[in-house]
Amino acid sequence: MAALRGGGGAPWRRGWLPALQLVRRSSKAVTRHWKAMHFQRQKLMAVTEYLPPRPAIPPCCLPRAEETRQEDDGYARLLRRQVEEAFRENRMIAVCQYNSMPGEDVVMMRHYLRKHNIEVKFFLNEIVRPVLSQSKYKNLLPLFVGRNVLLVSRETKAKEMLRVLKGVPQINLLGACIDDTILSRKGVENFARLPPLEAAQGQTAGALALLPSQTSSLLQRSSAYLTALLDRHIQHLQAAETGSPAEPSPPQSSSDR
Amino acid sequence: MWRWRRPVLVAAREGPGGLVVPRAGLKKYQQPPDYSGIVFPEKTKLKFMDKVPSVPKVRREPRRLWDIRGPSREATDFIQGQYGILALGGGYLHWGHMEMIRLTIGRNMDPKTMFAIWRVPPPSKPLTRKSLGHRMGGGKGPIDSYVTPVKCGRLVVEVGGRCEFGEVEPFLAQVAHKLPFPAAAVSREGLERLRQEEEEKRLNNQNPWTFERVVVGNMLGMRKYLSPYDLRLKGRYWGKFFLKHRV
Repeated sequence: MAALRGGGGAPWRRGWLPALQLVRRSSKAVTRHWKAMHFQRQKLMAVTEYLPPRPAIPPCCLPRAEETRQEDDGYARLLRRQVEEAFRENRMIAVCQYNSMPGEDVVMMRHYLRKHNIEVKFFLNEIVRPVLSQSKYKNLLPLFVGRNVLLVSRETKAKEMLRVLKGVPQINLLGACIDDTILSRKGVENFARLPPLEAAQGQTAGALALLPSQTSSLLQRSSAYLTALLDRHIQHLQAAETGSPAEPSPPQSSSDR
Repeated sequence: MWRWRRPVLVAAREGPGGLVVPRAGLKKYQQPPDYSGIVFPEKTKLKFMDKVPSVPKVRREPRRLWDIRGPSREATDFIQGQYGILALGGGYLHWGHMEMIRLTIGRNMDPKTMFAIWRVPPPSKPLTRKSLGHRMGGGKGPIDSYVTPVKCGRLVVEVGGRCEFGEVEPFLAQVAHKLPFPAAAVSREGLERLRQEEEEKRLNNQNPWTFERVVVGNMLGMRKYLSPYDLRLKGRYWGKFFLKHRV
């Protein structure tokens, strides 16, 4: 039953305690077992429970916010630098599909290509793609999907490269960028069939020099034609004269006009 | 012992072009943790705690169970170590518990690279017990043992050194499970995160009626059924128990 505490001392000197202290059982405040709460207290605990926020649109329905990119680590930066350097320094860059090859075959292929100054480079797509998308080689992006390998060289020895790659069935040429020109596989083959630069230059020079070299003969052609005609005529007449001896000599042709 | 096992099929997920097998990308190297600010104590292992204080108490003391009740005011933050055992309830630690802690941690840690320190004092509170089989009455029993009271939110031991949480957590959790009150292994960041989450919960609570508000305003005369200590405890503590889900 409720026990009334006796008031002793002046009210302002007493500690503040509720006037009625409900003491039904003598179980202390701190017990080893879970002390049963008064029903009113249970109701209060139920009313004052935590209610989590419920937004109008649940977060699972909203587009997922892209998690902040992790800071660039030095290794990725180094690889990106290497990619940029490879694209900057080399004239010929060929992208090939790379299927798994035995190790020794890879080494032999690299050896043969090295003889022609062609280097074999492996780059990760996730590094190459951002680098290319920001440079002028945007159109090469579709090639960098799946396992690939880069054959780079400072000279443009396409014929030797194709010869080596013909002997390696696991590497398939997808495309190349030679002297900032994107070529497909067919284009590379055509490029390989072209004569070397010096021969092409010689041919061009010869073709260009052909017309000027013909100028003098062109100019002389009409008079030479007339001379030839007159010579023929003379011969014809001489032939006729030997047939009939009394023949007047033909008039002298004036070739200098 | 190597044995030939059937190769495990790689977990392929459904992608836009059919089944997509995940491939390994660039390896991201983690920076090794920085252990520059660590100060080692002279003895890295836990000190032996006496069962009975050097000056045993003669006068038998009242029970004073309020030393278990409510949140702790001392030893709530880390001092030297990085990981520790946080008490999530109130209770008494006696010599047996302390020996268990000392031996388990001593067995599992490497004294060259790790250290452990006590954050609870040796047992000093005397507990009396009446001899078995006697009826009630005859005065207070003699002192039986000494205990250390531990309140909720207090750190019991701290472990630190050149180690990660992953290597320390197993045996700390093992010890925490054996304590007489609920406890958990925490690190500095973990403790920080716990406190932040608690604070966030308190701030984004959608319920306009909180225990604190009701008690302070004595709404509906609730204080008739509550204790004056509930002003301080705010409904998160009940006896020696800590109610984690509240507010």
